[in-house]
Amino acid sequence: MTRIKTGKDFWSGIMFLLFAVASLYFSRNHSLGSSGEMGPRYFPVVLGVLLGGIGLLLIARAILNGDEAVEGFGLRAITILVIGVVLFGFCIQPLGLVISTAITVVTVALADRGSRPVTTGLLALALIVLSVGVFHFALQLPLPVWPSL
Amino acid sequence: MDLLANLATGFSVALTVTNILYCFAGVLLGTLVGVLPGIGPVTTVAMLLPFSFSLPPESALIMLAGIYYGAQYGGSTTAILVNIPGEASSVVTTIDGYKMAIAGRAGPALGIAALGSFFAGTVATALVFVGAPLLSSIALKFGPTEYFSLMVCGLVASIVLAHGSVIKAIGMVALGLLFGIVGTDINSGVRRFTFDLRGLADGIEFVALSMAIYGLADIALNLERKETSTSIVKAKIGRVLPSLSEIKHCIPAILRGTTLGSILGVLPGGGALLAAFAAYTLEKKVARKPRHFGEGDIRGVAAPESANNAGAQTSFIPMLTLGIPSNPTMAMMIGAMMIHGISPGPRVMTDRPGLFWGLIASMWLGNLILVILNLPLVGMWVKLLRMPYRLLYPSIVVFCCIGAYAVNQNVFDVYVMAFFAVFGYICMKLDCEPAPLILGFVLGPMMEENLRRSLLLSRGDPMVFIQDPISLLFLVVAAGLLLVVALPAIQRTREAAMQE
Repeated sequence: MTRIKTGKDFWSGIMFLLFAVASLYFSRNHSLGSSGEMGPRYFPVVLGVLLGGIGLLLIARAILNGDEAVEGFGLRAITILVIGVVLFGFCIQPLGLVISTAITVVTVALADRGSRPVTTGLLALALIVLSVGVFHFALQLPLPVWPSL
Repeated sequence: MDLLANLATGFSVALTVTNILYCFAGVLLGTLVGVLPGIGPVTTVAMLLPFSFSLPPESALIMLAGIYYGAQYGGSTTAILVNIPGEASSVVTTIDGYKMAIAGRAGPALGIAALGSFFAGTVATALVFVGAPLLSSIALKFGPTEYFSLMVCGLVASIVLAHGSVIKAIGMVALGLLFGIVGTDINSGVRRFTFDLRGLADGIEFVALSMAIYGLADIALNLERKETSTSIVKAKIGRVLPSLSEIKHCIPAILRGTTLGSILGVLPGGGALLAAFAAYTLEKKVARKPRHFGEGDIRGVAAPESANNAGAQTSFIPMLTLGIPSNPTMAMMIGAMMIHGISPGPRVMTDRPGLFWGLIASMWLGNLILVILNLPLVGMWVKLLRMPYRLLYPSIVVFCCIGAYAVNQNVFDVYVMAFFAVFGYICMKLDCEPAPLILGFVLGPMMEENLRRSLLLSRGDPMVFIQDPISLLFLVVAAGLLLVVALPAIQRTREAAMQE
């Protein structure tokens, strides 16, 4: 099912190429060393070359042989999930486990188009109870539970 | 090779009340996770890694291991009853298992799956007991050169035996190696790729990376797929034990499945999935006539179920003896060991015999618990199938967040997880398999270290990898595998196998 030129292989190639360049660029201040005494730059360069080669190979293959289109790249789900996670990161220390869990559950439930407020609310409550019960009481993990005022 | 002494050590650790409880918890959780669609053992182990930190290492590994092979049991239950494989390795079981369920023979199907798995688990555990010391003693003689080539071979094998494009998989391995060396270089003390972020000084947190890919990105992909309704077999399950003649009928299938599974489980890239597929294919060709494969032949359930359990257990061998993971779940186990400050490799057996043998003994115990558990509890598992994904996935997100934070009490790791969730999503959309990345990530620092030492000893001469006989052997095998997979004929077979 090879159709277009800039599909999965093409973009994979671009991705690998970008990482190859990053590997070579961000290690530029380190010493390469020699074969006998590998410096900190040695392995990154080896990997960078390998990645670059693979990237170019994939791009060439996509352009010459045709490529499969990327299916259904939908940003909605992953974006909402990431926002939920990031919010948790913001809130866990200042606001504690209870509030952070609630915020995350409510945020993440938005990714599901059929979610209803009551169900989400109950789920958040259940998860709060579960999390505090398991992680704070049972496992005794050092997690802030309530806001630190 | 004091087999008896090792058995004694192992069971003395496995049979403590605490560890029995953790084993039970692990296999129960594993079965649950195997039954539930939308979450698998890899995700569960990834999520539990940060929490296992507070447990003693033996208990942590026992529980995590239980999740892995427990999930194989759970997956077969849904495969048979609902035609939905709870686990990838149960796909093959759906073929004949579901047909049997429709014909009112769900009970014997489930029964033979459980019995076959238990037999396979026992044999595999015995193999691990016997084979591990052998392998460890060989591996202890390895120097950095041999080790480097072994890792190369292991990575190549995992690429070749996995699905998807080989070139992309190599790229993912390289990327994993690159991510693995982010942080402070042990040799020079230099900080690489840390962008002056203190959170990266110790490298990318393994737990954050694995949960990002196997938890969060996986959820994003699941949410995109339209939900299909599951129609549960209304047929009564009835007696769960197959008749004696049915069992006898299945003995060759179980034996073949166990053997094949044990061998394939050890191979990198192998494990339960490959074992199940191979066993079913073999059984179709070799079983005594009359054959009814595809229509409810009980051997079509017995063979893959034995194989996937044998494969799951023997896949611990390379991890425990060589420190080389053969699949992502084993990579997680290595992560768990590292969290507890244990560096995996042949020394584990001698440095921490209680942990080593205890883990192996617990695997047999876990199998026993599973057989006793699962047969009566089947009804309950079936009810759980109705758990809607909309309740499940926020729970996974919350556990991942808590986990990522809890490892180091560092909010930074939560952000790292968020970042790699996006990365993981993009990769999977581009058909770049994450498993090679995780394997590369785990092996990255060790590979660089072995490469460096090897070249140091050889004064910079890269020929040493070819001159050393064992190293040469590994590299030849690796090259051979790559060649074989490049052949068009093999490519077609691979694709056909993947489609099934």
